[in-house]
Amino acid sequence: MKNVMLTIFFHWVIVLALAPLFVGVIAKVKAMFAGKKGAPVVQPYFELARLFRKQCVYSRTTTWIFRASPIVGFGAVLLFALLLPLGVCKAPMRFSGDILLAAYILALARFFMITAALDTGNSFEGMGSSREAFFSCLSELALFMNFITLAIMTRSISFSRMIGADVPLSWPHSNPVLLLVVASLFIVLLAENCRIPVDDPDTHLELTMIHEVMILDHSGVDLAYLLYAGAVKLFLFAGIIVPLLIPFRTGDPVKDMAVFLAGMLGMAVFIGAVESSMARLRLNRVRNLLLIAAALAFFGFVVALWRGGA
Amino acid sequence: MIEHILRIPWHVPFGGFSLRLDPLSVIFLAAVVILVVCAGIYGIGYMRQYKGKKPLGLHWFFYGLLFAALVLIVTANNVILFLGAWEVMAIAAYFLIVFQDGELSVRRAGFIYLVATHCGTFCLFLMFFLLAHAAGSMDFGVIAATNFSPLLAGTVFSLAIIGFGVKAGFMPMHLWLPHAHPAAPAHISALMSGVAIKTGIYGICRVLWMVGVLPDWCGYALLAIGIVSGVMGVLYALGQHELKRLLAYHSIENIGIIAVGLGIGLIGRAQHLPFLAVLGFGGALLHVLNHSLFKGLLFLGAGAVIKQTHTGEMDRMGGLAKPMPVTSALFLVGALAICGLPLFNGFISEFIIYYGLFQGLFTLPLPGVFSCAVGILALALMGALALACFTKVYGTVFCGRPRDPEIMVKREELAPAMAGPMIVLAGLCVWIGLSPRFAAGMVFSGGEYLARTGQAAVNPDRILIPLSAVIGGAFIFCALAAVLAAIRRMLVKPSPVQETWSCAFPQVTPRFQYTSSSFARPIVEFVKGLLLFRRQGGKVEGAFPGKSQMSSSVHDAVEENLFRLLFVRFTDISRKFDAKRIRYTQIYLLYIFLFLIFLLVWKLR
Repeated sequence: MKNVMLTIFFHWVIVLALAPLFVGVIAKVKAMFAGKKGAPVVQPYFELARLFRKQCVYSRTTTWIFRASPIVGFGAVLLFALLLPLGVCKAPMRFSGDILLAAYILALARFFMITAALDTGNSFEGMGSSREAFFSCLSELALFMNFITLAIMTRSISFSRMIGADVPLSWPHSNPVLLLVVASLFIVLLAENCRIPVDDPDTHLELTMIHEVMILDHSGVDLAYLLYAGAVKLFLFAGIIVPLLIPFRTGDPVKDMAVFLAGMLGMAVFIGAVESSMARLRLNRVRNLLLIAAALAFFGFVVALWRGGA
Repeated sequence: MIEHILRIPWHVPFGGFSLRLDPLSVIFLAAVVILVVCAGIYGIGYMRQYKGKKPLGLHWFFYGLLFAALVLIVTANNVILFLGAWEVMAIAAYFLIVFQDGELSVRRAGFIYLVATHCGTFCLFLMFFLLAHAAGSMDFGVIAATNFSPLLAGTVFSLAIIGFGVKAGFMPMHLWLPHAHPAAPAHISALMSGVAIKTGIYGICRVLWMVGVLPDWCGYALLAIGIVSGVMGVLYALGQHELKRLLAYHSIENIGIIAVGLGIGLIGRAQHLPFLAVLGFGGALLHVLNHSLFKGLLFLGAGAVIKQTHTGEMDRMGGLAKPMPVTSALFLVGALAICGLPLFNGFISEFIIYYGLFQGLFTLPLPGVFSCAVGILALALMGALALACFTKVYGTVFCGRPRDPEIMVKREELAPAMAGPMIVLAGLCVWIGLSPRFAAGMVFSGGEYLARTGQAAVNPDRILIPLSAVIGGAFIFCALAAVLAAIRRMLVKPSPVQETWSCAFPQVTPRFQYTSSSFARPIVEFVKGLLLFRRQGGKVEGAFPGKSQMSSSVHDAVEENLFRLLFVRFTDISRKFDAKRIRYTQIYLLYIFLFLIFLLVWKLR
């Protein structure tokens, strides 16, 4: 029991310590692409520390649900963190069906986020929440399609087997399924974490705003929770994709962990590069992008079935 | 098997007053009793506004009659008794729906319901006749012990899907639901949606139990019906502006989820995979129970809202959480539960059905794998759309600022008779959500009973262990939320209260807010090929446009494109015969007399 508590705690420490750094690296890469020096990679830590010291301002219109939303959002990603293996650190909670708990606890966070946005009675936030509700339908579809493919490949419905075990080792056998799954999951990552080309994390006053505008009225500790939760969620989504990309094991836990962390760093750089080299899509194109993600996942499923049958 | 059968002598041809209590009927009986009692107590408070204006005695008489009929339906052990109770239920429900018979729309809704239910009952008579004829008995137990030919079994299955499907609200036959639910008083809507439509599901379950060996396609057909009903139901729900109509369409979605569970159970039974069968049937039965709890809660909450605002139009409401804190909190519980979110009961049943579908991926042959994959995707899509739908409802009704200055909402004084039942239902939702062992045990024995496996064939731990892990996760989440709340309390300084920041625009009115229609528009427009989405006005013309209006609405494609045309055709045909109608009653009597003589002669010969 004590051991379990320790692993849980350790897992949280890793995630909470590294997630802002991940965001910092992306910001740095974007700045470098733009020809600027950019803020130091540890800037997100300073921002969070500043917000934790600030006052919260609440609107007269809001009710308790507005105050509950940051707590639910942060709690949900911390629970999600426990279900995911991180490199050599095994997931503290792993059971058959944990992918469902992960998907639905994130949906719980989304429910509160959307209602909190509507709670302010602001048309901008209504706009953002409406789009969030729509796009999440499509990204959910792509996410579950990938889950199905991975489940068929590993005959398991637990993250620990689906991404943790030997699946990535089949890369050398030129397995095209993994390519499709990774590509599809990467689009889901961009969409779920409000990255360009779906959404712009740096602005809220545009006609194409989604996520940033929903948290327009949050401030102080509440905003810190939401931003921290966003960083952790991004980190964890990258933590789903990166293990799928590492086609070898060294056998040494320290080396494996180093490889994993290097992979995460590479993923952050890659996300930054994608964000810098693309324009944000028009809103009615976003749904096509998400449908492409679902289609890629579907082809992955068909190929997985075909290879499994052959 | 735990079956209790009670027989009382009853002198009706082919009839027999025989009741049965088995793991299947227990689940439905529990749902019936809980909801009838809760809705009844709520109704005492709700109907106070009609005291002295409407005949309440008549209303409560039919309420009692409906209760008796519902209990008889889920316990009957005889075809005649079952069909009798079925008719009594239909009639009693009709009189309950048309309570506000002064309004044309209510009378029309009642009539649509009456026609629909009798079309369904017609198929049921045919189906039960086939069954009883082949078995040589009207007793359910005897029918269940009979082996049927595949052709007969398939025919019976199809008739059951049509006949019971009308009552349950499967997608092409759902027509009466969105009319009847908004017309009835709130507690009647809760009862109709919570348990009356579940009698259709009960009927299908009973047929699946009686006909032990069904052709392979039946499971796939049920799965397909579930997927169509589920996805289309929630899409239509998203397009609605009227609160109770939206909830009615949402019932169709949940019936779809139940049908997906039953379908996967049936596929598992046909393939001799007992674990799969128990998961599918068990998940579906748990969802029956869950849906009656949270949908009852939601309809009762909607009733409290409508009693205050005197309208069901969501776009005229707003900001009700402030004057109605209790109702809004209870409604939120129902909304979270119906979206299938963790901590609440909806997640447990959806988890079991998902689990069954994933098991199907691993164990079924190729067509089964494809169907299960589609089923998983459909469930995921339904979940996300339901979330969009209920954030829309909660957000526009309870959040933000009041949209219509004409609707003055006083601070609510919720009568204990109205608050109590809602609190009980919400409590049950949370109880099953956080401690599902008891309910899961009950539905799994029901699932085993339907799957026709022995109790030892399936090790229930295979699903109970993941379930308890899920509950563990839920508790960790609660602990996390408590810690985070405590941290914030520690850090937050006395917080100033301001107006919502409107991006520096000075004159913001409540009419700026997103409405339920604008919230749902992206999704509804995306699927407008499936729904009948109509927009009127809203074109801006010229350099100095004057005042203009825009309205949008979603119409039922099945109603407008299928049934309306069908009924127009029927009317045409009957009009042709109209000219040849005989206008004297005496001649009709003569015909009847001659026919009787003909029969007598024919029999004597």
